[in-house]
Amino acid sequence: MNSKSKVPCIPIEGSISWEDWLKGRRARRETSKLVAPGVIRRKTSSSDKRLKKLFNGERGLPFTPTEKL
Amino acid sequence: METEKIQSALADITAEQDPTLKSAKLASLCSALWGERGVELVVVGGSAIEILTEGAYASGDLDMCHATKSSLSVAERQEIMGLLGAKGGPRNWQVAGMYLDLLGPVESFARTPYRRVEAPYGEILLMKPEDLLVERVLVSFYLGEDKTARKCAKILAAVALRQEIQMNWDEVLRVANRPEYRNLPECAKLVKEVADELKIKSPLHSD
Repeated sequence: MNSKSKVPCIPIEGSISWEDWLKGRRARRETSKLVAPGVIRRKTSSSDKRLKKLFNGERGLPFTPTEKL
Repeated sequence: METEKIQSALADITAEQDPTLKSAKLASLCSALWGERGVELVVVGGSAIEILTEGAYASGDLDMCHATKSSLSVAERQEIMGLLGAKGGPRNWQVAGMYLDLLGPVESFARTPYRRVEAPYGEILLMKPEDLLVERVLVSFYLGEDKTARKCAKILAAVALRQEIQMNWDEVLRVANRPEYRNLPECAKLVKEVADELKIKSPLHSD
């Protein structure tokens, strides 16, 4: 656990529990958005054909909005 | 793992609409099933970065490698994936509403452990962020500018700088200095840029 922010940290040694990993999702997303806002998923790749077929023209499922994490 | 438990897990993963949770749960189930047969799987690449950062980066495919020396035979892999109702193979499958790619032996230079998440169906191993950061920085400039790879490196640096994931910065330095990469100046520059944005001191700069 990060003592400053109380956000559960993914540690080097040992493991993080599922509950703590879930708890940290929103903070990690917010941090990521500070330096790279929006969806940064690649626009294309060699997997386009299969992905777009499975995800109705998209390359994956839509990301859960930050406020719902 | 009992058939009933596998089917219950599969139903949960198939119904999951959050792409990061779906990916983590599928990695958990596959890791458990491979693990029962003595093979340790690791989530790698963009899939690992997504689980570490929530950066809205990964696509609808989960990339995994094996950390143990040997993997399973084609027949064993097909047997396991058959239990999950997967289509395709022997290295790529459509399963539970996404794709799983098994890429072969894992390639890692960092001397840190794989990160571990106790996921619902079994522990998942994640590629070491020290390797991931140095690799993404390389991809961001090596064959011309790759803005997506750069953003990806930035989110990884950011969550590490804010201690939401623990990063061994000495290992980042060492890996970036290895002949396979030789991109320490670029890594240091990117980490400094992110640290400045977050108003945090860069661990890769002494001044």
